[in-house]
Amino acid sequence: MNDLLLVLVAAVITFASRVAFLVRPRPAPEGLVGRFLDVFPLALFVAIATGALIAPSGSPEVTPGLAAAIGGIVGGALFHRALWGVLAVGAVSFYVVRALAG
Amino acid sequence: MPASPSFRRGVRDSILILFAIGAFGVAFGVVAVDAGFPVWLAPLASLVIVSGAAQFTMVGLLATGTAPVLLAVTGLGLRHLPMSATLARLIGPQPLRTRLRLAFILVDETFGLTVHAAATGVDDVVAYKTGADLMLYSGWVTGSAVGAWVGDAMDPAAAGLGVLFGLMFLGLAAPLVRRRRDWVVAIAAVAATVAAIALLPAAWRLTSAAATAALIGAVRHE
Repeated sequence: MNDLLLVLVAAVITFASRVAFLVRPRPAPEGLVGRFLDVFPLALFVAIATGALIAPSGSPEVTPGLAAAIGGIVGGALFHRALWGVLAVGAVSFYVVRALAG
Repeated sequence: MPASPSFRRGVRDSILILFAIGAFGVAFGVVAVDAGFPVWLAPLASLVIVSGAAQFTMVGLLATGTAPVLLAVTGLGLRHLPMSATLARLIGPQPLRTRLRLAFILVDETFGLTVHAAATGVDDVVAYKTGADLMLYSGWVTGSAVGAWVGDAMDPAAAGLGVLFGLMFLGLAAPLVRRRRDWVVAIAAVAATVAAIALLPAAWRLTSAAATAALIGAVRHE
């Protein structure tokens, strides 16, 4: 599938999920399915962050990315879990450790 | 509608979002071009998908193949179901065209603002959300276009773009950790990802790790 088609299919999937309950109002999913949907974004975001920061080349390793992850967690704790706090402290940690490591 | 007080309040309440989403859009444009998107496709993706989470996930998983991308986008899209059910209740009976328009930009930021505005007595929820959506949409698409244009001239490795990309997802996850169950899900996601990296082909690592962690969170009763 080429990139344009992938974007269009992703757009259709996203719009379909947004419009479903607005076109035909009905109760939101509950029970196990509802709880799964509730936590899936968190699980996916953490999985992607873990892959990018802890295993950038496909296997877990000690890199400045690990310092970024620790810094990001500290930044989140210091700044009420604000996105900018995670990014700022994580990025500073990364660049400092990368500079020190040469 | 543009002259209505509710519309103007929606625009006014979203000014900060315009700048924050604009910056976020720039980041998306840079990451998308780095992942292999042509420069024109990054703003087009923002124009038609209008979902930071889905779009960042899409470019993040692009190298792993089509199926994991669509699986992840579907999984992320499913979280809109309870949001659209809530919005349907807030706006009441409306023409189909209006409901389709509001659904197109059903995103976390303006949804949160709209719920808050409805709870604090805004006169016209539809006009309010339209104003807020307009701000978010313009910031997101414009930022993506700027990022795509700038990103083509950057060296992503030298800039540490991969790390910033990971940090952004960490930042997106942070406000979602509200209860003990969420901590369990986050820790399970880290463990499942490390295990998946050791055991699974690249294409299925992240989505299967996320699904495993979400299932752990779903079966955990509080």
